[in-house]
Amino acid sequence: MTGRLVFVLVLAMATAGRSQTATEPRVIHVAAERFAFTPSEITVDEGSIVELRLTSDDTDHGFRVYGLGDPSVVIPKRGRGDVRVTIEAKEAGSYRFECSHVCGAGHGFMRGTIRVKPRGQQ
Amino acid sequence: MELHLNDPTDSTPAVLDFHRFVLLFTHSFSDRVRFVGELEVEHAVVEGLEEGGELELEQAYLDFLVHPALNFRAGMLLVPVGIINERHEPPVFHGVERPFVDTVIIPTTWFEAGAGIHGALGRGFRYRAYAMAPLDATEFSAGEGLQGAAQHGSEAVVRNAAFTGRLEYVGIRGLQTGASFWTGDTGFNVPRIKTSVGLYEVDARLSRGRLEARSQLAHVFIKGAGALNDAMGRLTGIDPNIAEQLFGVYGEVAYRFLPASAPHDAAVFVRYENFDTQFKMPAGSLPLPQFDRDAWVIGATYWVDPDVAIKFDYSHVRSGSTVVPPPRSINIGLGWWF
Repeated sequence: MTGRLVFVLVLAMATAGRSQTATEPRVIHVAAERFAFTPSEITVDEGSIVELRLTSDDTDHGFRVYGLGDPSVVIPKRGRGDVRVTIEAKEAGSYRFECSHVCGAGHGFMRGTIRVKPRGQQ
Repeated sequence: MELHLNDPTDSTPAVLDFHRFVLLFTHSFSDRVRFVGELEVEHAVVEGLEEGGELELEQAYLDFLVHPALNFRAGMLLVPVGIINERHEPPVFHGVERPFVDTVIIPTTWFEAGAGIHGALGRGFRYRAYAMAPLDATEFSAGEGLQGAAQHGSEAVVRNAAFTGRLEYVGIRGLQTGASFWTGDTGFNVPRIKTSVGLYEVDARLSRGRLEARSQLAHVFIKGAGALNDAMGRLTGIDPNIAEQLFGVYGEVAYRFLPASAPHDAAVFVRYENFDTQFKMPAGSLPLPQFDRDAWVIGATYWVDPDVAIKFDYSHVRSGSTVVPPPRSINIGLGWWF
């Protein structure tokens, strides 16, 4: 009887953990540095929610993504923490992001792409 | 912005120079049409018809964003060669002055009128490829290499276009590597002489924790250098002694020694450079030993803010000459950007 109870508790805890994980956004760390984002290509599943944690390795940078709610934020300078952007990938497709805060002579090169994979695609 | 104090260790007097004042501005006509401009004043004062400062339009281009892999750009562009040319904000590099290789082998700041394409190829690879106004062979020199030969889009002669490109890999955080080239005819100012330049370069930058390293190698080939020397000798009475090949390489290591919790940041660095503007001479010409140089630059950078750097270094240049002493100096610099 005691063994069965432990199994049920463990199963309940595991199930609870799984359902909690399913609602938590996937976290992706993105580093900005003159003049590149790493990674510059981010692939997410359609319908998923992702949280981008953006940090800078040097100066202030900006982050703007087109077509996914168009959020625009300033990424603080090196050593001054991160900025978080939550994105809901409602529709499959490619979405361009870029540095939206002038950061130097090569500012125009700071771009990347978020690819939202259609549901069911590997 | 860069303010420098250069104090040569010989009897030459120290010089205090507001080396660069840069204004960078951008405008978005739409999400897909952008303008980038960069105007720079060098050495504080610009005087007509005198050897002094310079007012330079280093960037003024329109970007037409079509697709991540293929975009178009036209106007005044930075030549996409090497580490420093497109990345020259003073808090970004160690040392009061730019590396010698980025001065006499790659003539930074190298900007030119032109047009081309750029984009990201996926998996961290990106490229740019431009057609630009060519270099002017009559401005090559034995000691300063290609420095001074760019036409800078100022009524530039474009009988033949030059081509330049760069392929970069930026797929791993803290690692940026690239390879670039420039090729084009250069003899438009020298009648009946065909000369051309090919410049090939590779570089890498690495940042791991508090350790930073960078390295760059550049090799220049000047076709027709012998004929150019003969023609210039006849025109001016002085053989410019231009080489067939120029070569330069450097490696730099830096360590940020303050703890991450400190409000400011500081690094010590050491750089070794080997550069020769007469690496290979045309038949019948002899290289001058003072142009076969190497240099140790050792110093520190203190960032009051990530965009404000106080720099100090000692630059020790050596050459094969026993007659012409190479420059050695103590340098202090203040650089900032916003």
